[in-house]
Amino acid sequence: MQRRSRSSLFSASFLAISAVLVIFMTIVIGGLVLYPSQRELLASITSPEILFAIQLSLVTSAVSTALCIIIAIPVAYAMTRFSFPGKSLANVIMNLPLSLPPLVAGVALLIFFGPSLIGTVLRGSGIDIVFNVTAIIVAQFFVNVPYMIRITRAASAVINPRYEYVARTLGCSEWSAFRQVTLPLAAKGLIAGLVITWSKSIGEFGAVLLLAGATAMKTETLPIAVYLNISTGDLNEAIAASIVLIGIALVSLLIFEQYGDGTQVI
Amino acid sequence: MLRITGLTKTLGSFSLKGVNLHIEEGEYFIILGPTGAGKTILLETIAGIYSPDGGTIALHGSDITRTDPKHRGIGMVYQVYMLFPHLTIEENIGFGLRQRHIDPVTIRNRVRQTAEMLGIWHLRERYPETLSGGEQQRAAIARALALGPRVLLLDEPLSALDVTTRERLRRELRTIHRMMKTTIIHITHHFEDIFALADRVAIMQNGTIVQVGTPEEIFQRPETEFVASFTGMENVFCGRSRLRDGAALIDVGPISIQTVAGIEGDVYVGIRPEEVIVSREPFESSAINTFRGTVTEIQQNGMFSRIVVDAGVPFVCALTRQSIRRLELAEGETVYLTFKASAVHACPG
Repeated sequence: MQRRSRSSLFSASFLAISAVLVIFMTIVIGGLVLYPSQRELLASITSPEILFAIQLSLVTSAVSTALCIIIAIPVAYAMTRFSFPGKSLANVIMNLPLSLPPLVAGVALLIFFGPSLIGTVLRGSGIDIVFNVTAIIVAQFFVNVPYMIRITRAASAVINPRYEYVARTLGCSEWSAFRQVTLPLAAKGLIAGLVITWSKSIGEFGAVLLLAGATAMKTETLPIAVYLNISTGDLNEAIAASIVLIGIALVSLLIFEQYGDGTQVI
Repeated sequence: MLRITGLTKTLGSFSLKGVNLHIEEGEYFIILGPTGAGKTILLETIAGIYSPDGGTIALHGSDITRTDPKHRGIGMVYQVYMLFPHLTIEENIGFGLRQRHIDPVTIRNRVRQTAEMLGIWHLRERYPETLSGGEQQRAAIARALALGPRVLLLDEPLSALDVTTRERLRRELRTIHRMMKTTIIHITHHFEDIFALADRVAIMQNGTIVQVGTPEEIFQRPETEFVASFTGMENVFCGRSRLRDGAALIDVGPISIQTVAGIEGDVYVGIRPEEVIVSREPFESSAINTFRGTVTEIQQNGMFSRIVVDAGVPFVCALTRQSIRRLELAEGETVYLTFKASAVHACPG
């Protein structure tokens, strides 16, 4: 009897802590949505500034996610299937942006494309990747490509290479075996990775702030809009941008749950 | 027809250390060996998945060592099917034909023909995961056969199946081989596969081929200690089985051996040396087979010694040194051999 009441006390306290956390999160996030009056909120969301930010965020994140996937697929495949000298070092370097504060990544990018020799040469040939829309895409790509690689790796690691072997004995080249067999088998994992990368690109702030700057109506993505409006005291615009971000996060989380079974995000 | 010369390949902890094999046109060739012997790498190297470090592979007299797998005309079937999960059975079987851009009607006819031969045409619209193991393996075999390969490689094709399915599919492999006359290289560790299917057998150990021969040669005259211990069935005889009251009586030369297996006709029987009890006098026991014979040979080696007793046919028995001493065995002495009907392994010859 005593044993039983103890074990239920044990589970009750753990469950209680979980419940408190869930309630806390719901209130914090829900409170943000409910804080401004709904009329003002609607006005803010449809204001030219926020509409610009939504559009810019969607375009830049779509482009950077596309770049991430184009690079991540061959890299992830190479890292799962091939062995080469320096593989573990390459692995560490590729994962570094994951644990690096995005601000630091932003500083590094700023120096690289700015005053460094390479930046100077690029600018000399007419390619400027600082404080403009291209900078947003580059910053999002740099910070998020490791995520995409990780998820794609997890998806391709579970695919037995013998599917490809069989395909090759049946008349496929390596390229076409990859396209006809491995890629379709990895599709679910790729969709999950795509959604999470896209959602993270939209939310990317630190690296974007440093490389692209925070210029209203120019490099103003949704997170930059939150930042600019908070600093000028325009609370409604800041909240409007935040709510759009919450909505995007929610949708991508649901899609990820749908496709990402067995895939670890980090 | 297929000639492999001095083939070497190292891949992680596995390696091929100079494999030489010559396989005849239309032959059913079985490779037997323990896990880690390098059998799968050998097949995958023959298929062209791996490029060998050294040596050559020639098919019909032309060197294919560096030929891309897609141009080799060598089909591959794995133990766990490897059917493409995103394609239906029909699409799986037609996969190779589609790569050749043949017209869809011809593809469908070829797929149908192959699928019907393997009895899986009715499953054509299903996806692999909804099929049983036996059905999936048939589909995998059909997929490889649809292209009419010059050589078919089977990597333990029956090992993942339950006993009944395995026996049925084994009979079908035999039928397919007779009908299509395809050269087949088949990896196994099942004793029964060898006698039911193989024209010739190669024993593989540590990345090399240690013996090649007909099934009888391999089992009756194992050339190395390893082959003997791996095959384990040193007493292998051809015989003719008759059914008597549900039990089979197998005539082997001048003697008749009783077994529990209910098969009739030409059979192979195998009895492990350690299953044979040697005694000075006949004795009453539950073991039904008792024969009188003469010791013709005693080989002392290690803890166990092998003695050969001529009881009309030569039996190899494994005894400890102490037993040999205790029974005062010597060449020329008369002894009795006893073993249970259940110790007799019989399979169709």
